[in-house]
Amino acid sequence: MRERIYHQFFYDHSPETVWEYLTKAELISQWLMPNDFLPIVGHDFRFTIRAMPEMDFDGIVYCKIVELIPFKRLSYSWKLGPGGGKIAIDSLVSWTLIPKDGGTELTLDHTGVKEMEYFNMFSALNKGWEANMKKIGELIHTSTHGTPNT
Amino acid sequence: MGRPTLDGFQVIADTSRREILQMLSKESMTINTIAGNFDMSRPAVSKHIKILYGAGFISIQDIGRERHCMLKQDGFNKVKEWINFFDKFWLTKLKNLESILNSKSKKTK
Repeated sequence: MRERIYHQFFYDHSPETVWEYLTKAELISQWLMPNDFLPIVGHDFRFTIRAMPEMDFDGIVYCKIVELIPFKRLSYSWKLGPGGGKIAIDSLVSWTLIPKDGGTELTLDHTGVKEMEYFNMFSALNKGWEANMKKIGELIHTSTHGTPNT
Repeated sequence: MGRPTLDGFQVIADTSRREILQMLSKESMTINTIAGNFDMSRPAVSKHIKILYGAGFISIQDIGRERHCMLKQDGFNKVKEWINFFDKFWLTKLKNLESILNSKSKKTK
């Protein structure tokens, strides 16, 4: 099943200009969404959209910058869920800028859009699922019996 | 009291049940075929199948004399909705960016 979104656009502007619109919070909000983006790898930020309860979405997209190569490439995680810290979609948004014909070819690659609970269990067998289960078990235990050491 | 209903995490916490789901993610199988892949007894396999069925992870269809198990697609439909949503979302946003950039260049040129 397709779990990838891909768009390519040509903008008649330099990669430097397009980059500004991808990495300055105020400029991003002009075309995308209100946010608290900062161009620092590892920086956690959020986008706020309208909530969509029918889709189990509280309107906040939780992101973390994973790659930042000025004027060339930007990737951040893109996580969302129904709220209360629960994440239903854990995906990745990557932007690639290529100078072309005096402008910029901008590629958006949004990958890994899949629902965690259903998909993880298939791949997890090879990815230390036991450890995850243990962690989940501990979390369930903690939430049932209160935080340890308090 | 009947068997307590397990939640999704409890259901997949069991190695055998995860293996069954893994098998079914590739193709639908009869209970006998699934049992043939395990060392445990057929009733033990049946019990796991029943749990998976009860939690809505799989559906079971009788074809002839055989019971065919397959992954339930319900959980996947929402993913399709999200993909369609984001597809249109990004397209709209990228067009926004285009018009903003173009209006900007008109002002500065």
